[in-house]
Amino acid sequence: MSSMSDSGSSGRAGAELMVEQFHLKVLHAVLAVRGPRPLTPAASASFRRRDRWFHLPLHDPPPLPAAEGLEAPTPGEPLVVDIHLAPAGGGGAGGEVVERWTVACEPWPDAAAAAAGEGIAVNRAYKRCMTLLRSVYATLRLLPAYRVFRLLCANQSYNYEMVHHVRSFAVPFSRVDEAAMRSYRFVPVETQPGRLVVSVQYLPSLAAFNLEISSLSSSMLIPDYVGSPAAEPMRAFPASLTEATGSAFPPFYQPQRPHSWAPPALWSHAPAQQARFSPPQLLYASPTPSPPNFTSGYLQPRPKGESAPISIVHVGERRNPVPHQIVLEPTRGFMLPPPSPRRVGETGTASAQQSPSEISRSFGRADGLRMMDAYASLSPGRKGKDSKDESGRFSALSSCDSPRRDDIDDADYPFAVDDVDPPTFQPGSSDGKEARDQASSSSHKSQDAAVGSLVHLLRSARPLRDSNCPSQTSTAESNQAASTSSVVSRRKSDALEELQSFKEIKERLLSRSRSAKQQESPEKP
Amino acid sequence: MRCILHTIFFHRTLTLVRPKDVDCGLFEITYVQCGLADLEKEVDEKINQFIAWVEKHPNRRSQVCLSFFDEKNKNPCWFSNKTERIYWEQWFINLHVISPKGHGKSHSSKATTDLGGKALEETSSRRAALGLLIQEVLFQIINFANEKKDHIPLISDRIFNHEIMIPSSSDSVFGWNADVLRRVLNS
Repeated sequence: MSSMSDSGSSGRAGAELMVEQFHLKVLHAVLAVRGPRPLTPAASASFRRRDRWFHLPLHDPPPLPAAEGLEAPTPGEPLVVDIHLAPAGGGGAGGEVVERWTVACEPWPDAAAAAAGEGIAVNRAYKRCMTLLRSVYATLRLLPAYRVFRLLCANQSYNYEMVHHVRSFAVPFSRVDEAAMRSYRFVPVETQPGRLVVSVQYLPSLAAFNLEISSLSSSMLIPDYVGSPAAEPMRAFPASLTEATGSAFPPFYQPQRPHSWAPPALWSHAPAQQARFSPPQLLYASPTPSPPNFTSGYLQPRPKGESAPISIVHVGERRNPVPHQIVLEPTRGFMLPPPSPRRVGETGTASAQQSPSEISRSFGRADGLRMMDAYASLSPGRKGKDSKDESGRFSALSSCDSPRRDDIDDADYPFAVDDVDPPTFQPGSSDGKEARDQASSSSHKSQDAAVGSLVHLLRSARPLRDSNCPSQTSTAESNQAASTSSVVSRRKSDALEELQSFKEIKERLLSRSRSAKQQESPEKP
Repeated sequence: MRCILHTIFFHRTLTLVRPKDVDCGLFEITYVQCGLADLEKEVDEKINQFIAWVEKHPNRRSQVCLSFFDEKNKNPCWFSNKTERIYWEQWFINLHVISPKGHGKSHSSKATTDLGGKALEETSSRRAALGLLIQEVLFQIINFANEKKDHIPLISDRIFNHEIMIPSSSDSVFGWNADVLRRVLNS
């Protein structure tokens, strides 16, 4: 820049370029200390070539106007930068001008002056511009607005914000404002195009602006609040289980949260901790928390047609708490036999029938849930017979205690678990004790039907491992698969055991009915 | 002193600089340095010398002079290599350093506290007034630096030749600086 030619048209072009760059440089210098931003570490010592204009490189903010979306000052037009102090949060509205910087290249008033200006050496003008720019730079730090700028940079929670407006014209001040302001005009620099003038109008005191830290800070999203997914280590979530959620959660979110029916390996939160997982936003909604977290308010935003985990909880709350507990505390459900689903006050059969079969049945029920979950991944979207769609296919599980024919016929549900009725006799008996026979026959029929349906379901059940299931590559997913397969195998064995028990019951009933017939026949006359 | 000297240097150092904002905590003033380590070191040394002189000569008016000059060979010939300094700008900074008043003996803690509180108030008000004064001085420097610029020599790749003259211990009663006298005699 110091080697700019003074001769002829090149001198004129150089002078105009210098004037244009001077405008930009002043704008950059003003906004660098009038645009509050978080404090950043010191910039590097290296400068770009264009930053070396006037031998005064300016670091932050980035070169203007592109970085701030401002248009370049139009050559020949003045540059007016108004600095406002406005109430925070108002988007700059309602502010008052505390400082106004004006940069203009005033054209020569007449031909004589213009001719004299043409003789001004560019190098000489450039040197003067360097001194003028340094004066502007130093003055910016001496004016009262600089203190406010530093305060707002250090803490952005003040009740005022500093905004700027860049124009090519100056909005006239009111008489009152004009009187309150002081003005300072720097010594102009004469250049070939005209006189380069820089002036500033400023309020000598900003004490009238009662700057204080506002208690109401602007709302901001805290991504790593305690209990959020971002705050705790994530584990990969198998795709097979994420499919069960359908579109309940964003795809990127699903692998990050262990599911409520995930195997124990993935369940790392104690129930007490789960209560922290309050889902203020759908984005952070967690499928894993214990039932109290799944309030109705949480359920409502979910679109209909989506399935568990909500449905599981819903089912558990409505029907049998044991599966619910098992679901939500899978360690207990998998490691220990579940307690009897019968509660005090519930109608039930003889206790003898409760313990082994009930336990196995309830376990089967729980396993039915698990089996259902496994099937859910394979065949999503099966809706149950209950009216609520969000229960999905799991609504069929709600009929565990009192199965219906249509539910039993549901091929996805492997177990047609029925309430154990009092032992009855063979159906079709014409002996005198018709009621007992009818009861026994009806119970026998229901038991037979149950056994038959059970056998049918087992035969027609889908394979535990679907070949179409996507391969699981991550270690977590393989663990998930291994545990799921073990669970499934256990269910199968339990199912077989239950089948055996049913057969035993059947044999027992048949033997009793035979013995009862034999007893009756001698009594007949 | 540091604030004033660096502001002058910032306006008269037309080589590529790395502007550095420095906060003067005592007076809530932010001034700009050139970001040249050698210059900062030189200014600090001169200020330390000046402080040492003030401690020896308390409550005396003094003057610090910052001069920019060109060196030219005077009567170049085979046998002499005298150089001549041609000062093209000189800044005179007049100072009156006042020593803080000592606290009198007190017979009660309350009196001591009152005196201490008053002293603090006086100190803070004095400091505020001095801060305003320094700010005015800085504005004056900006004015002067912009009023006359044609005499500044051509821009070179280094800062202009300069010197900072401070009162020395050999000052006479009339305040003449021995270095100034020596220079006048040599010129």
